[in-house]
Amino acid sequence: MSSKPDKLEPGFFHHSPLNLLRITSVRVLVQTVSFAMFLAFVYLATYAQLNEHPGLRLWVSKILEIDPLVSLATALTTHTVYQGLLWSLIIVIPTLLLGRFFCGWICPFGAMHQFTHWLLGGYRRKERIEANQYRPLFAFKYYLLTALLVAAIFGSLQIGLLDPICLLYRSFTGGVMPAVSVPLPQLFGDRLFNQGAWLVGGLLFLFLALNLVIPRFFCRALCPLGALLGVLSRFGWWRIERDRGKCDSCNLCSLNCEAACDPHKDLRRSECFVCYNCIEDCPCGALSFKFLPPREHEIAAPDVSRRKVVFAAAAGLAFPPLTRTTGRTTRDFSSTVVRPPGTVEELEFLERCLKCAQCIRACPTGVLQPAWFEAGLEGLWTPVMNFRIGHCQLNCTACGQVCPTGAIQRLTLERKLGVGQFSQQGPIKLGTAHFDTGRCLPYSKNTPCVVCEEVCPTSPKAIFTERQMRTVREGRLQVRAATENTLAVVLWPRAGRAIGEPVSWAAGRFSGDETTTYHVQINHPDAAPETHRVTGNDAATLAIEGRFLKPPAAGTLAVLKMEYKVPLVDTELCIGCGLCERECPVVGDRRAVYVTAEGETRSHLHEDRDRDRSLRLLKRG
Amino acid sequence: MLTRTAGAVVAAGAAATAGYLLHDPIGDAGLPRPSDATRRLKDFFTGIELPAGTPRISVATGEESAIEQMVRTAIGRLDPDLGLRRFVTRGDVVLIKPNAGFDRAPHLGATTHPDVIRALVRMCLEAGAASVIITDNPIEAPEACFARSGIKRAAEETGAKLVLPEQRRFETVVVRDNEPAADRGEALGRWSMLYAPLREATKVIGVAPIKDHNLCGGSMNLKNWYGLLGGRRNQFHQAIHHIISDLGWMISPTLVVADGTRVMMRNGPTGGRISDVKPGGEVGRPTVVAAVDPVACDAWCYRHLLGRDPAKLAYLGMAARKIAAETAAGSKRLGEADWQAYQRRGQVATANV
Repeated sequence: MSSKPDKLEPGFFHHSPLNLLRITSVRVLVQTVSFAMFLAFVYLATYAQLNEHPGLRLWVSKILEIDPLVSLATALTTHTVYQGLLWSLIIVIPTLLLGRFFCGWICPFGAMHQFTHWLLGGYRRKERIEANQYRPLFAFKYYLLTALLVAAIFGSLQIGLLDPICLLYRSFTGGVMPAVSVPLPQLFGDRLFNQGAWLVGGLLFLFLALNLVIPRFFCRALCPLGALLGVLSRFGWWRIERDRGKCDSCNLCSLNCEAACDPHKDLRRSECFVCYNCIEDCPCGALSFKFLPPREHEIAAPDVSRRKVVFAAAAGLAFPPLTRTTGRTTRDFSSTVVRPPGTVEELEFLERCLKCAQCIRACPTGVLQPAWFEAGLEGLWTPVMNFRIGHCQLNCTACGQVCPTGAIQRLTLERKLGVGQFSQQGPIKLGTAHFDTGRCLPYSKNTPCVVCEEVCPTSPKAIFTERQMRTVREGRLQVRAATENTLAVVLWPRAGRAIGEPVSWAAGRFSGDETTTYHVQINHPDAAPETHRVTGNDAATLAIEGRFLKPPAAGTLAVLKMEYKVPLVDTELCIGCGLCERECPVVGDRRAVYVTAEGETRSHLHEDRDRDRSLRLLKRG
Repeated sequence: MLTRTAGAVVAAGAAATAGYLLHDPIGDAGLPRPSDATRRLKDFFTGIELPAGTPRISVATGEESAIEQMVRTAIGRLDPDLGLRRFVTRGDVVLIKPNAGFDRAPHLGATTHPDVIRALVRMCLEAGAASVIITDNPIEAPEACFARSGIKRAAEETGAKLVLPEQRRFETVVVRDNEPAADRGEALGRWSMLYAPLREATKVIGVAPIKDHNLCGGSMNLKNWYGLLGGRRNQFHQAIHHIISDLGWMISPTLVVADGTRVMMRNGPTGGRISDVKPGGEVGRPTVVAAVDPVACDAWCYRHLLGRDPAKLAYLGMAARKIAAETAAGSKRLGEADWQAYQRRGQVATANV
């Protein structure tokens, strides 16, 4: 350390954020604006019914579309660059020239780390310099990137787990904003339930807490996007260069170095965030952002061990077969995994889904929730439907409108509903509704109910009703006396008795209504049975519609029956929207009507998938 | 020594006092009780003096292009001198409760026609209302339902305030003090309701489309109040006539307007096909009915628009009986299931627009 007191302590104004002439002040402003824009994009996704707000189309998903790791990884899995992902070039090209300016100036997650460290990390000068030294541990992000990209080459897209934009997006839509909505519902609307919010929110806090150990730990040691940008920085035209003549080795450049890129030694090009802190902190003015600097004074490539890279590649190579062989994506699929409308086939879906949770945010009913492991290991945080929370709104295509990678395709309403030019193909089905007749009220609880039919939104309705007849409880009766249209009865006598016990009904109990009617069947001993509708009753007498063909003799068996509606599903018409399950009054883990993924139209291309086979079975009869 | 003793004594005293004040000897002091809910609905018909001889049911028939005219005529004839000003006075906050229950376009007849809303809002503002609120609690996603039904645009164009059914606007309301007795046809005791707009409003106007209903026969003005309920309201479907008659009894609106412009004749209440809809139903031409007696209005609409026998619609009689108990106790509200009684007294007005 040098001992030139006047040069160690530049004036207050020089370091003040108010000095807008400083590039670092501009940078902090850009980071703040970038973070604010990130929040705005997250908020905008909520209003993604883009048929209503066509202007938003340009902006929604932008923050994910400019992410180069997303573009590269999906290009490796799908061999295409989906729609807006071409925008990532506006980050890639400047990075090739300038270095990891994205990390220092734009990345909202990086800004959060920086802010957290500034807020909580109160080091003394010596400790701060020490904390900002490069550590071999920081090479880990390159091994992680290798493993992730190799896994992508072989068909499994897992970058969304740790990519900073996807991670931050998911943490906000699935953790932070729901948590804020609990005490302040007016801020972000009525998104009532978000499964797994504790996990994504908790992980965010965990990553931010790492800044207490080492500043911007995530960015330096874990971030795969940073690693990719570090690799791209290798042949840049500019970098921060230390003039050995002016430098007096005071190490103050490390005091605020964001990236731990060792500006006081040979600059590690693949680490430097171009944050400009070192340039401004240097009391000797030895550092500058130089065009075409000499090659000798830099470490251009990431400092990684070749053997470890190979091992990481092997891990990435092993991952897809290890997960796919479980069969969870094919034969042993979980039928509770109902995907959003417009989702591609499951294997292609796993090549595209970033787990960014934008579709979950855009969904107006909250039916989309992040999966746990129902869809396999790769399915963690991918969108699945939970019909206890919401339903798939018939005229809504929000999820596909916001998906940045085409895991959920952009649908027109015509395509989704199967009308117009798509009437031959029919509507997109998410699955099929099934009745659990042991729980359904009319089937087994002796209670009329057709809420599911009432709310079924398709035209014609996929849920329809059929009338069934069932003997009323204690409905075996014995005729005492009869007129042409009334019947006085007692209960049918128990074994060994001649006369049955009296009945005492509430008046009007058997009058019936539109959905439930009562009928009495007279079993004449010497003639054919006749059945008549009951129009009313008092304590022990039934009144019928019309008149008896043959007057019932005393002692005749009369059976009182209830005719009521039971619901059925027409599997040709059911689109699996789940409104029936959502509204079923039999609440609990298993509703009396529930939707499974069987019969989903997205699986029709793959003949070996049992999903499609079970639809053919359902269609028979 | 002194300061320590003093500090200790003060701390001990504070602890003892807090303990004494917060003490819960039985164990349930801090728990919420059902009787804690104290909110009740206002009677929105109080203070309205109907002149003798003026119609109680006012029907206007016309073309679909003249819906605003029909609404103005129907309401206007309820009081030839004052029109809506008999009901809405200067400074009133008027709550208009349409049916926005489904994500359907207006021509499918599942929701209130937006032109009826436009006309009503304009009339209320002309009568001097301080503000007009529009609200409903649909089954499907609220934003989508209000948008597609055209009601949101109608509210924006006329300056009414659209209130969405967010959770914070719901509160438990005491409809009856006792637990509802099913054998007396009761369904509601205390229930969660979209209460915030009801608290703010001084007048309430229900505007319901006339529709077939697969469960109860007809969805009209009484059924329209279902959209104020929150919670697990779908369980009431098992005793549908209990709940609809309770709804008709629980809320005493200022007036009701029945939207018979596009009547859903079949496959109600969701519908979804143009073939289910008939403009004006059995009347044959689009019709709007304004009434001060919601039960009689429903009976009239069931007969004339849906072409069915109101004597067979159980909830009408049940509602009338419940309201009769209130009238006997002095309330001025009207609730007669027999629309023909008004006809005989010359209190059903019809007009062609």
